[in-house]
Amino acid sequence: MTETPVKVLVVDDAATVRLYHTSLLSEAGFAVEEAANGLEAVEAALTTAFDLFVVDVNMPKMNGYTCVETLRSETVGTPAPVLMISTEDRPGDAERAYAAGANLYMVKPVSAERLVRVARMLTAGRGIPA
Amino acid sequence: MGLVRRNTPPPEETAAPPSADTLLSQLDDPDPELRREAALGLDGSAEAVAPLLDRVAGETEAAVRDAMLTTLAAHDTAQVAEGLAVHLASDDAGLRTAVAETLATMPNSVPALLPRLIDDDDHDVRVMTAMVLADLPHPEAMTWLAVMIREDPHPNVVTAAIDALLPSIGPEHHELLRGAVERFPDDPFLRFTVEAAVK
Repeated sequence: MTETPVKVLVVDDAATVRLYHTSLLSEAGFAVEEAANGLEAVEAALTTAFDLFVVDVNMPKMNGYTCVETLRSETVGTPAPVLMISTEDRPGDAERAYAAGANLYMVKPVSAERLVRVARMLTAGRGIPA
Repeated sequence: MGLVRRNTPPPEETAAPPSADTLLSQLDDPDPELRREAALGLDGSAEAVAPLLDRVAGETEAAVRDAMLTTLAAHDTAQVAEGLAVHLASDDAGLRTAVAETLATMPNSVPALLPRLIDDDDHDVRVMTAMVLADLPHPEAMTWLAVMIREDPHPNVVTAAIDALLPSIGPEHHELLRGAVERFPDDPFLRFTVEAAVK
């Protein structure tokens, strides 16, 4: 039986954040694609079955919460786990993320080890490298 | 040359554009499309600034809110900039990012706010300020970002400022960036960001 790589979509308007997350997750064996805002993420999710979404909150065109709500809506309807990572650590930010449909909310900065560990936990059973 | 009969069309009956008062009352219409049309129709109306500023945070439809922000941005005045900047601290992610995008199109009025925004107690506001500066068409935008990189006490603000500066980074910025790494030696993302930037 051939296992397919776990597909991750990294969604962040900051190029350096995308590069950082992509670099860490690729080195850990994930197949990573990138989107620069929520709208691009939704478009990508309509054509590719991702196993994990790593989503920022503050983004132009479509923010992270709306992105996750759309990913969970009938329009996309993905059951894949969503990890939201943001600089926002106000009271209620995590609740807002979970209400939108995220599985986990973490505040930046997130260590490399923790990002990979969480990504593996969220995608357990979905193929390499879980 | 033969005679050409010209069939002149009857004058079209065109409705007069709605008055500013009509459009202002339409801002509270239950129909979001009418609210959006009103917001756009109030373009250039100075008397619409305060009513639009009053409503922008409470508007539930993103398309209407964006229309309000488009009309407000065209004024590019201190009143609009100050009225919008307070929403950089909003709990509504859609509002604060839309406001940041709007402020980034207001190079005449936003610079006067920057000393206060860069010094805001809330580091999330300072992160949003870096987002504004990333796109603000102003000759001093890069200088302000450099100030944030050099002086801000929060690593998330510094990395946001570095990311904003990224398209313009040259060898003259390398010392500034390495200084940021020295200030936050335990932040692996900041170190990664700087290494990526100086490559």
